[in-house]
Amino acid sequence: MTLNASTPPIAVQALSKTYQVTDRAGGFGAAVKGFFKREYKDVKAVQSVSFEIAQGEIVGFLGPNGAGKTTTLKMLSGLLHPSGGKANVLGFTPWERRDGFLKTMTLVMGQRNRLSWDIPAADSFLLNQAIYGLSDAEYASSFGELNELLDLKEIIRKPVRQLSLGERMKCELAAALLHRPKVLFLDEPTIGLDVSAQARIRAFLKEYNRRSGATILLTSHYMADVTALCERIIIIHHGQIKYDGALSDLSRRIAPYKLIGLDFDDDTVVDLAPYGQPVTRENEDGMQYVQVPAEKVSAVTARLLAEQRVRDLTVADPPIEDVIERAFHE
Amino acid sequence: MRRILRVISAHVRVNLQQDLAYRVDTLVNIATMMAWLGYDLASIAVLFGSAQNINGWLAGDIIVLLGVFRMLNTLMMSIVWPNTELFNRGIREGTLDYVFVMPVNSQALISIRRIQVWQVVNVFVAAALILAGIATSGTPVSLGEAVSFLVLMVSGAALIYALWIVLISLTFWFTKFDNNVSLLQALIDTGRWPASVYPMWMRLLVTFVVPIAVATTVPVQALRGELSPLEAVGYFAVGVAGFGLASLVWRAGSRRYSGASS
Repeated sequence: MTLNASTPPIAVQALSKTYQVTDRAGGFGAAVKGFFKREYKDVKAVQSVSFEIAQGEIVGFLGPNGAGKTTTLKMLSGLLHPSGGKANVLGFTPWERRDGFLKTMTLVMGQRNRLSWDIPAADSFLLNQAIYGLSDAEYASSFGELNELLDLKEIIRKPVRQLSLGERMKCELAAALLHRPKVLFLDEPTIGLDVSAQARIRAFLKEYNRRSGATILLTSHYMADVTALCERIIIIHHGQIKYDGALSDLSRRIAPYKLIGLDFDDDTVVDLAPYGQPVTRENEDGMQYVQVPAEKVSAVTARLLAEQRVRDLTVADPPIEDVIERAFHE
Repeated sequence: MRRILRVISAHVRVNLQQDLAYRVDTLVNIATMMAWLGYDLASIAVLFGSAQNINGWLAGDIIVLLGVFRMLNTLMMSIVWPNTELFNRGIREGTLDYVFVMPVNSQALISIRRIQVWQVVNVFVAAALILAGIATSGTPVSLGEAVSFLVLMVSGAALIYALWIVLISLTFWFTKFDNNVSLLQALIDTGRWPASVYPMWMRLLVTFVVPIAVATTVPVQALRGELSPLEAVGYFAVGVAGFGLASLVWRAGSRRYSGASS
């Protein structure tokens, strides 16, 4: 099958995955019973999920643990056969694992190492060169580009076990991208990294996407990843899609309220309950916050200014973490 | 096929660099290997100091058998055991996932990710033992015997490799199965001696269940002219069939594979 410009590189239709897991109660008696007779139950990890992703998009795939994110990524990268539904990635059905498919996509799992610990990353890169059938020229140009973005030269000579987590992730990404995939499935690519390493990986992904036009579907528990990279997000919970749309629309749709931050003269503490729902925020900026429905913001602000001795007032969207948290549980 | 060869040669190169980088380790390994060779030869000398033959096997035959066993054991030590460890770790940690997203035959890839290249020294030692054994026994070897010996040695090794693939594939069905190869590991040393020295139950075990005898005793029997052409073809066919069957089992197992967690 050939792709034309209008065919989305990722198209998913009613994709479902049900696992059979052994079901046994705790305790010794149940363990003995389970040894002789297993009882199974079905876990619906993904239930009839549908979406399309356009060429060059970076989409954040969000959901609490066990929501079905990784299962979906595994089906899209061909590791898992679905229980039902269809998926088309770059014109291929992923789980048929055709060479043409495997050569044009990549999967990065932040919690699982691709690189061998005992050998320098440079050696693993050479193995990948052979596995993906890259000519020396292709390899050199691909590596040159990745090196320019990730500054790999120094670190790829050391055995991987001696690298810091951040350095290792750079190498993991490079190893996953040497064959210039057109679709990237990234499962928690920044997990465990410190803030500055996270920022570097984010900047890299953004630049890589800009240069290559690759389509990226990524999961992350770090909202900073999502806000920096993704204009669009898909929220999945209990295997079902709860939201699919622009990140900027999410708060309007899911949490149509604003936070009014207030600082009062003489630092007095005012009971804000009459104005809305007082909230405590983690950042200790000395301000008091009250949550009010979006349409009432101007009225409440006017009342506050009239009735209280306000020194400073800010109006902000609720933090994205809260909004997403709310989206999960709706 | 060309890509597989390219992937194999890349792995050999990278692993050889490893062996060279850790040269003390490699030299100690080679020295240990030589010490075991001395031990093996000494035990043969002790045995034949008091006996003319063992169940009809002369000293020369036993030395040839030792050479064949060493060839097989080199396969196990250089490729099979190291890759078993890597495979089991990959199952536990979920990193085996990456094997299945690579555009290369997954069975071939899991078989060659680790190669102790220095063990190639052992191949020469084994070949020398085989030649020395033939010289010791003094019986002339016909071309047909030599060819069937070589072919059965290769098909026998292929059979053991196939058994290994089947055993590790079982992990796909049972998930927690770290002992997948322990039976093979425990029995491999039986290949040092002709199958006929063992009690009947053991002989049946190493011929039909874990066919180490097929990979060691049988080729030497071919060399000694003890196999009928039909038997020789039969054993060869078993090797080829085993190899094919193993790749079917691997494919079925890998379809079941769903990673260490959802």
